[in-house]
Amino acid sequence: METYLDKLPSFVDAIKSIKETIIANIVFIGQVPAPTFNEKRRTSVFMDRLAEAQVDECSTDGYRNPIAIIRGTSQTKPPIFVVAHLDTPFDADIDHNFTIKENSIKGPGILDNSLGAGVLASLPEIFRKLNLCFESDIVLAGVIQSMGKGNLRGIRHLLKTWATPIRGAVCVEGVDLGRINYYSYGMIRGEIDCNIPAAKEWEHQFKPNAILILNEVINQILQLRLPQRPRSRVIIGKISGGFKHGTIAYDAKLCFEIQSDSDKMVKAIHNNIKDIVDGIGHESGVVLKIRTISNLRASKLKYDHPLVKSALAIMEKLDIQPINDPSESELSIFLSNNIPALTLGITNGENYHLKNASMEIEAMFKGIAQLIGVIMAIDSGICDG
Amino acid sequence: MDNNWLKKNTFHHSEFKDISRLVEEKIRKNLTIALCLPTLNEEKTIAKEIIIIKSELMTRYPLIDELVVVDSGSTDNTRKIAREYGAEVYKATDILPDIEAFKGKGENLWKALYITNSDIIVYLDADIKNIHHRFVYALVGPLILFDNIKFSKAFYDRPIATGTSKIRPTGGGRVTELVIRPLLSLFFPELTQIMQPLSGEYAGYREVFEKIPFPVGYGVETSMLLDIYEKWGLDVIAQVDLDRRVHRNQDTKALGKMAFVILKTFCNRIEKLGIVNLNKEIFDEMIQYNFVRNKYEPDIFKIKGVERPPIIEISEYRKKFNIM
Repeated sequence: METYLDKLPSFVDAIKSIKETIIANIVFIGQVPAPTFNEKRRTSVFMDRLAEAQVDECSTDGYRNPIAIIRGTSQTKPPIFVVAHLDTPFDADIDHNFTIKENSIKGPGILDNSLGAGVLASLPEIFRKLNLCFESDIVLAGVIQSMGKGNLRGIRHLLKTWATPIRGAVCVEGVDLGRINYYSYGMIRGEIDCNIPAAKEWEHQFKPNAILILNEVINQILQLRLPQRPRSRVIIGKISGGFKHGTIAYDAKLCFEIQSDSDKMVKAIHNNIKDIVDGIGHESGVVLKIRTISNLRASKLKYDHPLVKSALAIMEKLDIQPINDPSESELSIFLSNNIPALTLGITNGENYHLKNASMEIEAMFKGIAQLIGVIMAIDSGICDG
Repeated sequence: MDNNWLKKNTFHHSEFKDISRLVEEKIRKNLTIALCLPTLNEEKTIAKEIIIIKSELMTRYPLIDELVVVDSGSTDNTRKIAREYGAEVYKATDILPDIEAFKGKGENLWKALYITNSDIIVYLDADIKNIHHRFVYALVGPLILFDNIKFSKAFYDRPIATGTSKIRPTGGGRVTELVIRPLLSLFFPELTQIMQPLSGEYAGYREVFEKIPFPVGYGVETSMLLDIYEKWGLDVIAQVDLDRRVHRNQDTKALGKMAFVILKTFCNRIEKLGIVNLNKEIFDEMIQYNFVRNKYEPDIFKIKGVERPPIIEISEYRKKFNIM
C-alpha cells in the first residue's frame, strides 16, 4: 500500500506531461453529440480512440456498450472495471464545439460526462506513461443509456451478461474533485402527466387548468409526512406545460424523484403519490397519469470497507478534500450486484448542466492520479476475500 | 474544358487516414513538415488547434516537425495561450525586422517561410471550431504520396456557428460563389474545378511558396492559386475534401471588404498576365455606407494592395537557406 501511495504525487506531473493527449480525447469524444438513446456516433469515436491507443481488445457488447480490455499479468485474478457513461443531456443540434483556454475547457456536456469518457479513453496511454501494468485485466467501459429515461440500461446489461466475477469497479464522473460516492439511495423516478381534452371556443373559460391541477398534486406531495429515519425525500425536479400566456393550459408534466435509504420507504412514498394522483384525477375529471421511468435499489459499501478507506487515504496523500454524497448512477448497479465500487470526480467545474459548462484543466491531473491510485489499490487485492 | 483534373486530383481525406503510411513515406523521402497558424485575436480557438495537432501528429504520429504561430499583434491572450500549449510563437513584426512591416494574413504566411525550416509548409486558419487532425494529414497526404503534386488545397461543407449555440447547415462560401467563381469562369475556366479557391487551409512545398509573391492581406489565396497555375500548371495542384469546417459567421459588410480585396488582387493579376488592359489605375478604397443619426455616412476601407516579392529574392532568406 505504502509503495503506490508514495508514488502518487509524482504521478500528477507525469500525467500532466501528456496533457495534449488527454485533452484531445476529451475534445474528440465530447464534441460528438450523444443524447441518451443516440450515442452511436460517440460510441464509434470512443472506440476509435481506444483502438488508436492500442488496447489489447476493443469491441462492443450485445447492447452496444463500447468496451476495451487491457490484459493483466494474472490468469486468475478477476477484472477491474472502470466505467464512464457516454450520454449527455444535450440535443444533437446544439453546437458541441468546445473552447479551450489556458486552464479551462468549455462546452455542453463537458462535466456530465464528456470529461469522464475522455479520461477513460486516455487511461491506456496514461498507464504506459506511468509504466504501470496490473495483475487484473482492466476493462474500460463507456456505457450508453445511463441518464434519465435511459435508466442505466447500458450498465445493467453489461453486468447482467458479464460471465465472470468482477474484482472491483470505479465509476468516473467529471466533477467534483474530491467526490467520493460509495452508497446509493433507493430511488424511483417518475412523471405525472395531466391532459385535458382541447376545448371548443365556448367552453374555453370554464375548463380545468392542467398546470393548476399539477400545482395541487405538488401541494399534496409537500404535505406528506416523510420520516427522518430512514432518510427520505421527494424532489420535484422539472415541470413543463401550457401553450401561451392567454390560454388555459391543456397539458402539463411534472417530473419527480423519490429517494430514501430504505427501498420499502421508497415504495411506500410512491404509493402515497399514486393515491394523490388518482384522487385528484378522479375529483377533477381530468386525465392524470403517473408512470415510473426508472428505479434503483438502495445499496452501499460501509464506511470502513477497504475500498473506501483506501480511496480516502489516496485523496489525503494527494491533498484532495473528500466530498461524500450518495449517487444514483452506475455505482448503484455495481453495488446491487455485490461488486465493490466507488464513483470519483475528476476535476472542478461550473455551470454543470448548462451549455457553457466549464472544467478546470489543472486540477484534472490530480483527479486522474487519484483514479489510478484506486485502480492500483483494487489490483493490490483490497477488495478480495 | 477538360475536367480530367477534377477526377484525377480530387481526394477525400479518408484516403489519407493511414497516418503511419504517411510517416513512413515522409521518412523514406527524407522530408520535413511545418505547420503555420497565422493569428489575430484567436484566443477562443488557437489552443484546441495546437493541442490536437500536437497530440495526434507530433506525439502519436511524428508527421509534423514544426508548429509555429505567426501573430499580427493580437490584443487578447492568443500568444500567451499558444505558448502555454507548446507552439513556437512569433510576432510578425519581429520577423525580418529590417524590412518594412505590414499587417495581414498574407504577411504572416510569407514570414513563416523565413522562420520555418521544413520542406513542406501547411497553412491553417486559426479560427476552425471543429479542428481535427485530418485538416493537416489530408493536405499533406497528396504531397507526400504523389510526386507530381506540389500544392494541395482544402474544400468542405461550411456550416456556420451562429451566436445562439446552434449550427446553421449552409451559408458559407458566399464570396466564393458570388465573386471568385464568376471571375475564374470568365478568365480561367480550368480553375473552376477547384471547389473552394478561397479556403484558408492549404499546403505546399517550400520550393513553390518561396518563388511566388504574397499579397499581405486577404488576397493571398487568390494570387497564390493564379501564380501556381501560371507557373507550374494545374497538374501540380490537388484538392482534398475535408468534409466539414465550422467557422465564425461574418456579416455581409465584412464579406464585402473581403470581396473588394479579392477583386483587386484578381484585377492586378490579370493585368500583369496581359489578359486585360486597364486603361486607368483602379482605386484602393472600398466605400460602404452607414445610416447614423438620420444621415448616411461613408465607411471607407482602404487597402493599398501591398505585395511581398517571392521570398527567395530576400537576401536574409537566401543567406539562411544557403541559396547562391
